[in-house]
Amino acid sequence: MQPPSRFEQLALPHQEAAFNLAYWLLRSRADAEDAVQEAFLRAFRAFDSFRGEEFRPWLFAIVRNVSYRMLNSRQRAANVISLDAALPGHDHEGGSYLNIAADEPSAEDVMMGEVDRDLVRLALAELPAAFREVVVLREIEGLGYREIAEITGTVVGTVMSRLSRGRMLLRQTLARKIGKDRSHAV
Amino acid sequence: MPCNQHSHLLSAYIDGELPDSEHEALTQHIIGCSDCAALAEELRETSSMVSGLGREPLPVGLSHRLRRTLAQTQDRSGTIGTQERVAPGKLSPSAGAYRPWIRAGLLKHAAVFFIACLLSSLATWSVLTGSTKDNLLAQDLLSAHLRSLLQDSPIQVASSDAHTVKPWFAGKVDFSPEVRDLVAQGYPLLGGRLDTIAGRRVGALVYKRRLHIINVFAWTSGDGSEVSPALSTRNGYNILKWTRGGVTYAAVSDVESSELQRLPDLL
Repeated sequence: MQPPSRFEQLALPHQEAAFNLAYWLLRSRADAEDAVQEAFLRAFRAFDSFRGEEFRPWLFAIVRNVSYRMLNSRQRAANVISLDAALPGHDHEGGSYLNIAADEPSAEDVMMGEVDRDLVRLALAELPAAFREVVVLREIEGLGYREIAEITGTVVGTVMSRLSRGRMLLRQTLARKIGKDRSHAV
Repeated sequence: MPCNQHSHLLSAYIDGELPDSEHEALTQHIIGCSDCAALAEELRETSSMVSGLGREPLPVGLSHRLRRTLAQTQDRSGTIGTQERVAPGKLSPSAGAYRPWIRAGLLKHAAVFFIACLLSSLATWSVLTGSTKDNLLAQDLLSAHLRSLLQDSPIQVASSDAHTVKPWFAGKVDFSPEVRDLVAQGYPLLGGRLDTIAGRRVGALVYKRRLHIINVFAWTSGDGSEVSPALSTRNGYNILKWTRGGVTYAAVSDVESSELQRLPDLL
């Protein structure tokens, strides 16, 4: 095993964040794993063209591109597949993104309340992709607007309005879901 | 939704991403507008619910597979030892193809060597021409911050209670740093520890901002004068330094500079 290259030194610390981004774009762990592997490989091959701008937005933009390309081809494939495979709410992995909630409760689950946490995941998964990506980059990764604009290939003003609309939508969905859930419990 | 003029700005407002003048104007507006105040609060709640999800855990073995894939790709695109790719019989026709590659490689090495020379002479120049004290300090601060991230835990006394952390420093450092838990402002206090900066013992307060760790180093300042916060950047990390009440503080983190700059006011 040779010592880690400069690329590995720069890229590997971002693997969790890259996987998280791919997961929320694709809403499938298996696809996200493929996307991250392909994105890292592409980034490695294109590393010569990386000119010392900031590395993280550069890498994340590649992860995002690969994820969207995958999503497109997945949707095309899904259109060709026989109709009975397309059960509502199920993706072709046999998994359902309605079951997107994690299987195992973590420490945060206990803090936030498992039910609410599942509802937040569901609400985020249902958000249109353009809003979902900025919400994930902002709320989970804690990135600034300028960096999010760089990753999504837009301008700060667009990030600002998408994030605003995304949060408003989430707020409405959560109010509805949590309201319904509470009334169920009672 | 009432108060339509401002609702679209509130999201950027809670992130501190509005220009200063707009931020100030909106703060004034919110004081008098209960609709906007309530909406801002709800957006903050929504925001913290999502950030509370944290990252999706990495699949078992993905990290290993990534390293292996990259290592294999490097071997193949690397030096002339590409036996796997070239079948023995085809070696001679394709051998010529390596020559431009070798020339490019030599050029690249020469360039690297040249740049190294340039950098080392620049370094010497900067050492000889002052302004190095601040530079060395910044380097030391950054090293201490990175060191703390490499350890299992960046803290020696874990507590979100300022009344536990502050007395812990008594007798360990020759001053009493300002310790405040800022959980309500989104900067929960994790605890404190002792560290060494430029050969002297300093106190370090460890705060968290979302997933980012913020180290606030504190030591007694030479003279009693107050210094207002000054921001610098090093290797992508932000360093904010200020002096207040005879104590110099330096906050180091990879968090956005605007978020770091809120700290001196909060502490």
